[in-house]
Parts: sequence; structure tokens; C-alpha cells
Amino acid sequence: MKKKTISVLLAAAMVIGTFAGCGSSPEPAAPAEEAAPAEEAAPAEEEAAPAEEAAPAEAEEEAAAPALEGTLKVAAFEGGYGADMWTEVCKAFEASHPGVTVELTVDKKIEDVITPGMKAGDYPDVVHCATGREAGLTETLAREKGLLPLTDVMEMTVPGEDVKVKDKIVPGFLDTLATNPYGDGVTYYAPMFYSPCGLFYDAGLLEEKGWTLPTTWDEMWELGDKAKAEGISLFTYPTTGYFDAFMFALLASSGGSSFFDECMTYSEGVWESEDARKVFDIVAKLAEYTEPTTVANANNESFTKNQQLILDDKAIFCPNGTWLPGEMADAPRSENFKWGFTAIPAVNAGGAGCSFCWFEQMWIPAAAENQDLAKEFVAYMYSDEAAAIFAASNAIQPIVGIGESLEGDNQLFYSVYDSGATAVMGTFAATTPVEGTTMADALFETVNSIVSGDKTVDEWIAAVTEVSDKYRAAME
Amino acid sequence: MKNTKAKKAFIVTCVAPATLLFIIFMIVPTIKVFNMSLYKWGGFSNTKQFVGLSNFKLLMSDSNFFRSFQNTILLITLVTIVTMAFALIFAAILSREKIVGQNFFRIVFYIPNILSVVVISAIFSAIYDPNNGLLNSILSIFRGKDATPILWMGDQKIVIYSLVIAMIWQAIGYYMVMYMASMASVPESLYESANLEGAGRIRQFFDITLPLIWTNIRTTLTFFVISSINLSFLFVKAMTNGGPDGATEVFLSYMYQQAYTNSSYGYGMAIGVLVFLFSFALSAVVNAATKREPLEF
Repeated sequence: MKKKTISVLLAAAMVIGTFAGCGSSPEPAAPAEEAAPAEEAAPAEEEAAPAEEAAPAEAEEEAAAPALEGTLKVAAFEGGYGADMWTEVCKAFEASHPGVTVELTVDKKIEDVITPGMKAGDYPDVVHCATGREAGLTETLAREKGLLPLTDVMEMTVPGEDVKVKDKIVPGFLDTLATNPYGDGVTYYAPMFYSPCGLFYDAGLLEEKGWTLPTTWDEMWELGDKAKAEGISLFTYPTTGYFDAFMFALLASSGGSSFFDECMTYSEGVWESEDARKVFDIVAKLAEYTEPTTVANANNESFTKNQQLILDDKAIFCPNGTWLPGEMADAPRSENFKWGFTAIPAVNAGGAGCSFCWFEQMWIPAAAENQDLAKEFVAYMYSDEAAAIFAASNAIQPIVGIGESLEGDNQLFYSVYDSGATAVMGTFAATTPVEGTTMADALFETVNSIVSGDKTVDEWIAAVTEVSDKYRAAME
Repeated sequence: MKNTKAKKAFIVTCVAPATLLFIIFMIVPTIKVFNMSLYKWGGFSNTKQFVGLSNFKLLMSDSNFFRSFQNTILLITLVTIVTMAFALIFAAILSREKIVGQNFFRIVFYIPNILSVVVISAIFSAIYDPNNGLLNSILSIFRGKDATPILWMGDQKIVIYSLVIAMIWQAIGYYMVMYMASMASVPESLYESANLEGAGRIRQFFDITLPLIWTNIRTTLTFFVISSINLSFLFVKAMTNGGPDGATEVFLSYMYQQAYTNSSYGYGMAIGVLVFLFSFALSAVVNAATKREPLEF
């Protein structure tokens, strides 16, 4: 009998244990929401103002420039530039803002780290995470209207300096769909590290063979034929993901910037137009000159093999961003190898070549607790102090005059706009999600099928038009 | 009377923790998935829009979804049939025949199973490499040195079979060990008398071994269905990411793409519901179709 009582007691203890275990899971979510106002209130020694009230009050506070205090949660994507620069910048921010503690999370898969907390209501205050990533967090927040407008941040004075943020940012960067996702002139994304995208090649190979760098597509095809005779392919690509920058530049070169904007806002019939047709035809012709094994390696597992083709002089051009030389730094290469970088040749005779300018974005979730401090942090990113820390890791921000401090390969890459190429910026306008299709799949992923001959250009255009129509409907 | 009451209370208290855990971690999430599939929702905001069965209607006209469905079914059937056949043959040979280095083979066959999918995909991307890969190098002996390389991961007609091979290679060892375990429990006397009656090895395999390990085969069939669905996602993510141009998209990778990359969480959950119902139904069908009177020995 005693034994039985003991077992019943033990079983009861297990049941209670289970309840306790489950009970604790919803708890962190609830206090996290309440804890932040308390945190804010206590060190700031102000009235315990709930977070909701804090937001409208910020405009006045800004004028009075109050001492901001508290804990700021920063989440940053660890890209090719490494994580150390983030640690340093946060330390510098803490040093220049006494009373502020920065809780930094840096990860290569930052979405996976912060998303579970966000779903439970625990949002970071500032997030550095670009659009176009597989997890789609940045786009999802835009589509869900979950971003805080940064227009007033642009009007703020850079901490420690007497310049406004918007005056420090290179002109043009704030007028794109990559900073104003809804195309309504309101900035939601702060432009961070930028990288001109274009064609990388082995300058040593061209010198050795006596080939000149093509500036038009006709010259490109000529070079392609010459190279073919020597067993070298004209073109390769890491994965179809890189065709965004490539095709955006072609579109802008073909029809000009207003045409490019029409493409990005899904204008009716834009993909069937003459200007778009030229772009599709160029890519289709380029497909014939593409290194034959490219498609087989155009996946996340093997894309470096395609990049290696450039180093081995098996293919001449490869579309990419300025991080490529860093990514391939340890790879073996042909003897006279020298990185070359050029803009995408002009589509129309006499037109300008184009280079898509890709940049990462920083944003504040609308549900962030410490919005004032978050805005201060975003403004601080554009200070000379922060820019110097980032630049030391080769992360270049679109800050006026930063080009003068560049050295080595970077100087070559970032000077592409000085040598006549037009900068193209932007991305597809944010809409409510359209189930089952993405513009990226229809427009870029199909390139694999064009190269392998599984689809024709007409099928490609028809598919893009169909998807674009769906997105136009979702935008209205 | 008092005794049975106490006994009942005891049983209830013992079963309660597991039941509770099961409800909280299995039943509730499943119901939530079903519930979320009725909304248009990106996954973050509080603005969930109830759309009824509209997600399912969209799915029925989504050709990408059907392609991923086809690919999944192809993977399930091919991987199951080939893996089972090979695993049974290897298990029979290793447990019935006297071969030098039996244990060595057992270990070698099992090794792929302890490797992570990422390692396996790295191995296979080396094997499938169009220029220096193992497969094309061997084939070049027969096809001549200058033949155009076969693009194992690039040809849309071949690539799904390249995945099938990798999945089979990974799974054989595990099932082989399972079958060997049950074959070991078949009494030796049956084989001895079969030998005396003049039955050959193959006859013994089909008339003694197979019927006597049938219950084990039935269980593993259900495993095959579930693991093919799950593993195909991992292999696709690591090796092709659904490419080239969606040729290897399976329904879990498609669900991930829709729920996250395309910010259509509700739509992703609708795919999840169909996957759930499909795998449930398939397991039930497989179970019913393979039902036999268990043989006693």
C-alpha cells in the first residue's frame, strides 16, 4: 500500500512538473512586452510612460535632445564583412551614449535567430538585414506593414556632428524602391553597405590575348566568337540569383530609369514592350555563350565552381558583387590573373553602360520597444566614427566623400560609376503577398531553363507577364 | 471494488503526463496548422485576414505545387522500392551467407546513415561534378574523352534521379540493419529442413525469410513514406534548392518557399495540411495493402 502511495505521489509530481513546464513557455512573451516600458522608465527617471505614448512624443523630445538611456536590442546579419565590425560599432555607440547598453545579436542566419522571438512579440529595436534573402524577413515585414517610417531619422542630426543624416547620404540612395518599398516617398529602409554589381573578369587574360573590353553587346558577341575558337566560354554565373542585378541594369540601360521604375511597379504590358524584349533577347543570346556546365553548378552547394571558371580562364565574364574577390581569396588561379570589373555594356547604341548598385538595409520594426534609441542608433550609423569602423572591414556605406578613402581593388570597383556607367538602384515594389509565385522565380530562375534549352524566350516573357499582372493587382 | 478504483486512479495519473504532452505538442499545433491555412497572413502582423478555403482553391490551380507533388511521389516510390530491394538482398546475404569481412560490410553500409545530409550532399556534388566528377570520369571510359559531359545536377530530366540515388545510398544501411535484426530471429531449423527438402537459396528467401519478417517490412514501409517526405526536403535544400528552375522542388521545400520567401504563411500552412493528409492517407493505404496474418514460429 505504501508503495502504491509513493507511486501515486511520484506520478502526481510528474503531472505537476508537466504543467509547470508548459506554464513557463507563454510567460516570457507576456512580461517581455511589459518589461520594456519599465526598463525604459526606470533608468530614464521619467514618468512610467507606456510604449504607445512614447512614439508620438518623440518629435518633441528630439528637439530637446534628451539623454537617451536604456537597453537597445540590435540584430545584424553577419555577411562577408564579418561580425567584429558590429561589436566595435556597438561599443563605440555605447561610449558616445552614456547610459545606453547595446544587446547585439549577429548571425549568418539572423532571421532564424530573431524570428521565433518576434512571433512571440519580442522584437529587436534595430535590424540590419537586406532584402532578397531566402527567409524573406525584410520583405515580409514590408508586406505586413510592420516597419517604422524613417523619414524623421533622415532629418535628424548625425550624433556628434552637425550634419543632417539625409545630407550625408549620397544623393539618389533615398529615392529608390529599395528604401521606399511602397513607392510613396516614405523611407522605411536606411541604406547601408553598398556594392556596385557588374561583370567580373580576368584582366590578365584579356591583356594576354590582346582582346579589348567590349562596351557594346555587338562587341561582346564578337569577343564570344573569338574566345570560343580558343575553347573559352564568354559567360558564366554563380546562381540565377545574381541575375537580379544583371537584368535590372540591362532593363535600365534598355529603356531608361522611368522604364525601369515601370518594370519594378508591374506596369501593364511592360514586359512585352520592345525595350524589355531587347533584354530578354540579350540574356537568351548570352545563354548560347554560357559555359556548358554552368547550370549543373548553379546551386548553393557548388556555385563557387562557376566562379572558379573565371579564375581558371575557362569563362570570361561573371556577374557578381564586390564581395567576389574576398569570397575567392584563397582559390587557386591562372598565372597572370588580375581582377577586372566592368559595368554591363549599353543595350542601345550610344547609350550608357549600367551597373546595379546593391545595398543592404537597416530598419526598425514598428513593434520595437525603444524606438527613440533605435532611431538614434540608425542616425549614428552615418557618423564618421561608425563609417570608419565599417570601412576597415571593407563595408562601404553610401556616405558622401567615402570614395576618396578607398584603396586597392575597392578603388577599382567603386570607381565604376566615375567612368560613365549609370547607377541603377531599386527592387520590386512591395505588395501584399501573391500566393504561389514570385517575380524572382519567374524572371531570374527561368534563366537556367533558357540556358539548358528547356524554355523559349516567348514562354519566358509570357510567364513573367502573367506573374507581373498578379502583382499589379496585389499592389492596388 | 476499492482496489479497482485505486487502480484506475493510478493508471490515469500515470498516463496523464504523456497524454498532456501529446496534446500540447502534437494535437494543438496540428489544429493550429489547419486553422492558419484558412487565413491570408504573412506570419508576423496581427492583421490576419480570414479567407476560408481560398488558399486551397489557389493550390488546386497552382502548377508549381503539382510539379512538387509529382516530384515527391516519384521520390517516395522510387526510393522506397529500390532501397527496400537492396536492403533486403544485402541483409539476406550478410545474415545467411558466410562471407569474409561480414562485419566490415555491415559497418560500411551503415556509415552513410550517420553522416549528416550536408556532408552527403557535398560528397554527391563531388561525384556529380560535370568535369572532374567520379561518375563522368568513369563514364568517359565508355563514352570517349571528348564526349559532352552529362550534367547530373543541371539537366532537368536527370536531376531528380540524381537526388534519388543520393537518398537511396543514404538509406540502405539503416534498413539493412533493421532487416538483419529480424532475419537473425528466424529459427535456423527452418532453413535446415528446407535444405533437406532440396529448396535452393532463392526459394528459401521468398518462402521462409520474407514471410517471417513481414511484420518488420510493414513497419519499415511506413518509415519509408515519412522519411522520404522529410529527407527529400533536406536533400533538396542542401543540393539543389529546388533548381534548376524548380525541377527538383518537393512539397516541403515548396511549402518553405511560400511560407517564408514569399511571405505567404497561410498558403504555406495550406500546403502543410495537404502534406499531412497525404502522408496520413498513404501510410494507411500502405498498411492496409500489406496486411497479412502474422506467421508464428
